[in-house]
Amino acid sequence: MTTTAPEVSTVAVAPAPATRRWRRLTPWGVLLLAAAAGLGLQTQLYTGQERTVTTVLMYVGLAAAWNLIGGFAGYACFGQVGFFGLGGYTTAVLMVHLRWSFWLALPVAAVFVGLFALLVGLPLLRLKGHYFAVATLGVAEGLREVVINTSSLTGGGAGITIPSFGDAVTPWLGNDGFYLLFLGLAVAVVATGLLVARTRSGYALRAIHQDEDAAAAMGVNTTLTKTLAFAGSAVLTGAIGAAYAFQQVTFYPDRLFDVEITVLMVVMVILGGAGTVVGPVIGAVVVAYGSEYLRQHLPTVHTLVLGALIVVAVILLPQGFVNYLREATRQRQFSLLENVRRYRL
Amino acid sequence: MSQFAQVTIYGLLQGGLLALVAVGFSLVWGVMNVVNLAHGAFVITGAYVAWEINRAVGLDPFLAMIPTAVVLFALGYVIQRGLVNLVVNAPIFITLLLTFGLNLLLVNGMILRYKANYQSIPTSYATQSLVLPGDVRVPYGRLIAAVIAVALTLALAWAVRRTRLGLSILATGMDRGAARLMGIRAAHVYAVTFGLAAAMAGMAGAAVGTVSTFSPADAGRFTLFSFVAAVLGGLGNMYGALYGGLLLGLVEAWGGNLLPNTLVNAVAFAVVVIVLAVRPQGLAGRAFYASRVEV
Amino acid sequence: MTPDPILRARGLTKTFGGLHAIREVDLDLVPGRLLGVIGPNGAGKSTLVNLITGHLRPTAGTVEIDGRNLTGARPWRIAHAGVARTFQIVKPFRAMTVEENVMVAAFFGGGRPTSSVARREAHEILERVGLGGREQLTPGELSVADARRLELAKALALKPRVLLLDEVLAGLRPAEIEPALHLIASLREQGLALLMVEHVVQAIAAVSDEVLVLHHGVVLRSGPPAEVLADDRVVEAYLGARYAARAAARKRPEGES
Repeated sequence: MTTTAPEVSTVAVAPAPATRRWRRLTPWGVLLLAAAAGLGLQTQLYTGQERTVTTVLMYVGLAAAWNLIGGFAGYACFGQVGFFGLGGYTTAVLMVHLRWSFWLALPVAAVFVGLFALLVGLPLLRLKGHYFAVATLGVAEGLREVVINTSSLTGGGAGITIPSFGDAVTPWLGNDGFYLLFLGLAVAVVATGLLVARTRSGYALRAIHQDEDAAAAMGVNTTLTKTLAFAGSAVLTGAIGAAYAFQQVTFYPDRLFDVEITVLMVVMVILGGAGTVVGPVIGAVVVAYGSEYLRQHLPTVHTLVLGALIVVAVILLPQGFVNYLREATRQRQFSLLENVRRYRL
Repeated sequence: MSQFAQVTIYGLLQGGLLALVAVGFSLVWGVMNVVNLAHGAFVITGAYVAWEINRAVGLDPFLAMIPTAVVLFALGYVIQRGLVNLVVNAPIFITLLLTFGLNLLLVNGMILRYKANYQSIPTSYATQSLVLPGDVRVPYGRLIAAVIAVALTLALAWAVRRTRLGLSILATGMDRGAARLMGIRAAHVYAVTFGLAAAMAGMAGAAVGTVSTFSPADAGRFTLFSFVAAVLGGLGNMYGALYGGLLLGLVEAWGGNLLPNTLVNAVAFAVVVIVLAVRPQGLAGRAFYASRVEV
Repeated sequence: MTPDPILRARGLTKTFGGLHAIREVDLDLVPGRLLGVIGPNGAGKSTLVNLITGHLRPTAGTVEIDGRNLTGARPWRIAHAGVARTFQIVKPFRAMTVEENVMVAAFFGGGRPTSSVARREAHEILERVGLGGREQLTPGELSVADARRLELAKALALKPRVLLLDEVLAGLRPAEIEPALHLIASLREQGLALLMVEHVVQAIAAVSDEVLVLHHGVVLRSGPPAEVLADDRVVEAYLGARYAARAAARKRPEGES
């Protein structure tokens, strides 16, 4: 039996148990504070502002959900909006044709989206890189077209309207109600991210991201882990889609399956810092506000400016804000121009 | 019987054009591992350039392909050298996002300038048809476009294997580090590749403008088609892009005939996903592009 | 009296198109014994390792671990069965620290430890391989020798009973090879069944209980190191026919290592 060196060493020893416990609980504390702040904020906002913040909260949830498969596992799902739209349309169908309550339709729709993701995930997750990205994009587009072509069920291109007033089973939640709903969903998704990041599963996903073969050789069941991340991300996204559908009351396939929603999600996560928990939140807040601001103040050119900003941001901060900050403080080097050298030829 | 022939011929003609669109996309993907989401925008830009030239000096659009190619080559070269080269080593999200942002810029720039209306480039002969036995009509415009497109695609495929520049492109694509050690300037080669792809796309755009209508809203569709054709044919494989394009043209023609219009795209994608799941290197591609050595 | 083999491979064959990378290879891995695998480049040594660990599916043949048929099983199932490996070109998780790299194996090698338990195990193993004190570095900051140590640490964190080493000594300076061999020998003494693919023939001679020579995917010779390494055919395979003839003509005296 080989003897190990004595435990005393001159280099960093693992922090004492008390410190470790604080470190473990702090993020949860922060999340709780943020939730409370969100609640408090609501009382201070006008209707118009409240709607904007609601949209921001929606994107926080979407970005954090995408982060599970795209940021942690590194599988660039470019068809995420498919889950969003599927969740929305399933909810609508359940409420319109079966006259279900929204509170029943939402979880059922989310689970349905999860099952769908499990189904398509099995073949899709065998693809890598660009192939996976565009294959998922194809699935999203395919879903949109199926929805358009089953108009008896979904209203097709003419759209669908969820009964929300009068004798509706669930009355429309109102601006305040939806604010709370999206806040709750955002907190739920971020909490899921926290859980994943700090446990075994987080290590597994990150290992898969960096070297799938090595991860497999070290005992990580890559197939199961990837599929669960994919399905989990889908369930959460579907739930948010369901909430959005009810909020909009009337909507069309082109809106609920809009590729731009996926791209916004991806931009938020990448710029915020993929694979971190805080990154997507920061990214979502900044990009969502930025986009709304542009839409209101530069209506004709806002997409153009958005495109230009994406190009610039991707070049200056390819690793995302949070990761940039971490590395910069670690190496005491803050120059963005140096950052550009990172990935250049 | 004649309907079968009509649809098939139409599909092949359209497919030849799609091949020209796809070949550049496939080359860029195979050589630099960059999926250019702005590729369709290059096609439409080319269409507008040819349209402007036609409006200004009345030059026949097929002849206008040449200046169009030059303009688009320059555009592509500058974009690659100045922007895309900055993120060549980054994970795929980054290059995808970058080209997506470029796509937004180009498409919305065109919408601002030209509005989203559908245009086309008028010629005297394009709408007239060659009439084959069985009352099968082959519009002259489409016939010329397809012939030129296929010829250009084959020329590019030939040039890549036989010219010094072409070989340096292939070498850089297979092993950038080794190529550089042999004195090949990778940044320049990449830029030339991208420029060539843009030029091909632009010429295809000029052809599209002649045989049908175009608008900035079509850019996404062309990118999608390029992707499907490139994957079917195998990345970096130019002959493959030709087969892929032709196949896609046929599927589109036959699909449009049999299925409601919007489902055709869904079917095309389903085909792609199935092909990829079964044969990741595409129908005609070679596996080594999947495991590339980078420096 | 040698114990029963933990891992038995019989008739392993792998063809790629028309190429026979590995043909009809048999081997046994026994606890406390080290099997050295040598052969010229392209002989199929790494392919052999990949076939055993599930990274490649054999075209024919079987791999049994503890009597269970695990031929072509997915790599994680092989890992859970107690078989660990190192990669010839090291594959660390570049964006994780050294400690986190080893923790992945500690988490997934069987059992479901908590983070703190996994961290503790990782630290112990890193000490054992000589990386104590460097837990917070990233793999990019390690020297070649340390990167190899990390690779070994990751494999050991799986608490394996079988360890497959794929050219761990490649690129090491002579001064670094000694301690590495010590470590490997200590693993053997602890009862691990070891397979070591190597080019450094002296190292193989020093630690192997048995040597297997692969040439063009086929077993050329297997047996005790002294015999195998003196075999003319082996010399010819490694150094070519001309040198083999010279060596045979000179007939090296007995007892020379």
